[in-house]
Amino acid sequence: MINKHLRREIVRMVYENRDGHIPSAFSIVDIIELLYRSYLKFDPKNPLWPGRDYFILSKGHGCLALYVVLKERSILTDEHLRMFCTSKGILGEHPDCTKVPGVEASTGSLGHGLSMAVGMALGLRIQNKSNRIFVLVGDGECHEGTVWEAANVSNNLQLGNLAVIVDWNGSAAQLMPRDDLEAKWKAFGWNTMVVNGHSQEELNQAFEKISFEPTGAPTVILAKTVKGKGVEMLEGHGTWHHRIPTEQEVKMIMEVLV
Amino acid sequence: MSVKPIRQQFADTMLSVGQEDHQLIVMVGDISHFRLQPFAKACPGRFYNIGICEPTMVSMAAGLSKVGMFPVAHTIAPFLLERSFEQIKLGFCYQKLGGTLITVGSAFDYSNLGCTHHCYNDAALFKFLEGTQVLFPGSAIEFDVLFRQTYRNEFLTLLRIPEYGHRQEIKTQQIRLGKGIKIRDGKDVTLIITAPHLDHAIHAAQALSTNGWECEIIYLPTLWPLDEDLIYKSVQKTRRVLVVEEHVRTGGLGSDVVYLTRDIPDVHSAFLCIPDQFIREYGSYQEHCERLGFSPDGIARKVQASFKKY
Repeated sequence: MINKHLRREIVRMVYENRDGHIPSAFSIVDIIELLYRSYLKFDPKNPLWPGRDYFILSKGHGCLALYVVLKERSILTDEHLRMFCTSKGILGEHPDCTKVPGVEASTGSLGHGLSMAVGMALGLRIQNKSNRIFVLVGDGECHEGTVWEAANVSNNLQLGNLAVIVDWNGSAAQLMPRDDLEAKWKAFGWNTMVVNGHSQEELNQAFEKISFEPTGAPTVILAKTVKGKGVEMLEGHGTWHHRIPTEQEVKMIMEVLV
Repeated sequence: MSVKPIRQQFADTMLSVGQEDHQLIVMVGDISHFRLQPFAKACPGRFYNIGICEPTMVSMAAGLSKVGMFPVAHTIAPFLLERSFEQIKLGFCYQKLGGTLITVGSAFDYSNLGCTHHCYNDAALFKFLEGTQVLFPGSAIEFDVLFRQTYRNEFLTLLRIPEYGHRQEIKTQQIRLGKGIKIRDGKDVTLIITAPHLDHAIHAAQALSTNGWECEIIYLPTLWPLDEDLIYKSVQKTRRVLVVEEHVRTGGLGSDVVYLTRDIPDVHSAFLCIPDQFIREYGSYQEHCERLGFSPDGIARKVQASFKKY
């Protein structure tokens, strides 16, 4: 398993600050870590650098994964993380772009990030800019109609500067088991890839394949993930979604993440 | 005198501004498409008929704003505002992004299309969101001037285009964001008037003056922010105020005026507005107006029924 140190940080934040969604963050942390380490262009000293690539975490409740990666990339500090969900801190359970450097969109309500990203991708293309846009949406989020409105529009506008990653951790199928996301995204005309969302090798291969041609079909990477990935007791779709571990449970979790 | 439709002015203003300002982008939800062709031709790559997906069009407008463009999103009021309300709230207001939403189908303009195409709560929906402006131009020049004054600012601006404007001549220098216009001086009663009913108010004031009522008419092309100073001073003088608006009572201009003037003693207020109900009847716009009292006679009767002459 990769990124044990980031997972430990996530658990520490939830335990010490008494709030947060651990399994949702574990589901996506490997994807976000790789994006920031190898693909996204950004300047930690100037998060608003006009040449940057944009990453939008549309499933805002996974934000702990984003926060720990932004800290690792020196955009946030340890002090920021320590103040998670406190009145003087800037980090809440959903990210607020008016407060948090490096966060491009305030999210939380599902089904908004992709539509907004479509406008950003269009605006950048109109201005002949080469910045790329990555959006991470949840598979449960794909229940939202606006995701498919946006998928339809971006294919029709041929927004090749836009890439979506779906955190396909099976949440959606808990409620609607007929969730062949590959067929759906293909039907909407997107370049579609299915990978193991916890495999650096497979994610790398997928990211390398995106051409980001400004007037091509947009690309979606369907990342098969495990909610709570890395600690067996957290994995799956049970009560851990929004639960704070006890002292004893933290010990057990940290032993796995050594 | 022929009056230029405000909707045509919308198209003309987009063309004129768009040729000078390459950051202006116009998106429509499959309406006004033909009218906007001059803009589309003069400003290639900056006109998009997005299709029938209003919430996504609103979010896209916010995204365009995020990367430095000045977006205009346009379609029929209930679809742009009510259907897409969370997109407005989160895409623009929560992210602190500016932009312009331009609606047609003001209030019950689509009088025969039923309540799916009515929208008489738009100002209420907008006013309680952070960082918004609500403009209700009653003539072509008001649209043009107010759009130019607002489309680049940091607010989310709602421009409500009525099908029927008034026929008064408003001068460019009178039109300022957030400012009302005093059309007529009077000491007995303040009439606060919005876009289509200015003509009615003037006729009503003339009729009332023969009965000894001197009406002061304040005309408001901007509904939000409210021109507090102008309204307050007038009501302080007259102590009687009638607010005429094509909006439901709850959250309307009438409530704003009452709240604004709450510390002036002995103020009597009356409201000519749309009841907090669906308008289920069919018929022409003018028939709806007659029934609801949006007419010279309706305004005059309302004044006489609501206020005592000292």
